[in-house]
Amino acid sequence: MTTEHEGPQLVRDDNLTRELRAIYAAPADVAYWNALERRIVARLGADVTDEGAGLWWTVSEKWVRIGLVAAGFALIVAGSLLLRTQAQVSTMAYDSIVEPTIDAPTLAAREKLTEQQATLRALTGH
Amino acid sequence: MTERPSDERALVLAAQGGELEAFNELVRRHQRRAYVVARAIVANHEDAEDAVQEAFLHAYRALARFLPDQAFGAWLHRIVANAALDITRRRKVRETDELPETVASPFRDPAEANELRMRLQDALAKLPARQRAVIVLHDVEGFKHAEIGSLLGIPEGTARSDLHYARSHLRQVLSSVRSEL
Repeated sequence: MTTEHEGPQLVRDDNLTRELRAIYAAPADVAYWNALERRIVARLGADVTDEGAGLWWTVSEKWVRIGLVAAGFALIVAGSLLLRTQAQVSTMAYDSIVEPTIDAPTLAAREKLTEQQATLRALTGH
Repeated sequence: MTERPSDERALVLAAQGGELEAFNELVRRHQRRAYVVARAIVANHEDAEDAVQEAFLHAYRALARFLPDQAFGAWLHRIVANAALDITRRRKVRETDELPETVASPFRDPAEANELRMRLQDALAKLPARQRAVIVLHDVEGFKHAEIGSLLGIPEGTARSDLHYARSHLRQVLSSVRSEL
């Protein structure tokens, strides 16, 4: 028996170790390792080929960046257009509220318009 | 355990640069050690081979994340141990009722008829998988407790106590067989 430095409990039994080594001995045959290596390399090769075959549909990082920038720009343009439209709508709504309304007969008398023209002006505001 | 040939870093860098031949050389250098790590954890030779193949594939895919200044062997062994533990877990789930009564004979071991060895194999099969892995990694392969802890994802102290229990149990089996023979 061999007492290890790791503590009094851990006593190595040389006979047991020898038997374990016999049971768990790695294959000694070189041909075996060559064959295993070939199998591993073949799997790696297949994996690399699969990755390569998958490339045709993948998008490169460069194009992804360009796409994101373009999408961001489009979003900004769309946002500013929306804001402008909303501002115009609210201005028109405000104008329609604050602009004094003149009825058609008053307008006709004031601006010497026919009754038909005055009605149209009163309705459209122009 | 983690000694590294001086040009291994160059091989790793070349492999990271996409040179498959460089990675193949790493396979050549490490497959034997990878096999023994896997074999210590799984129940038989075939599973050990599967674990080794899986592990090299995982390592190849994860190579970009490996820091070349680290020991490639230690990194690979952790991947091998994980692959082996995965196989063990899958087997446990799939074949709870079909587990072999004895540890399957390792590749090219002709001494199966030996009574003592057969009883020892039987006892090994009945050991908890972690204890079996610890005693094989330590006594057969010479891994240190800290390395075993890292490989199996357990504290170093647990690796020590597992080793103690596994040895005690197997020693009892050996002495009882010897007294019978």
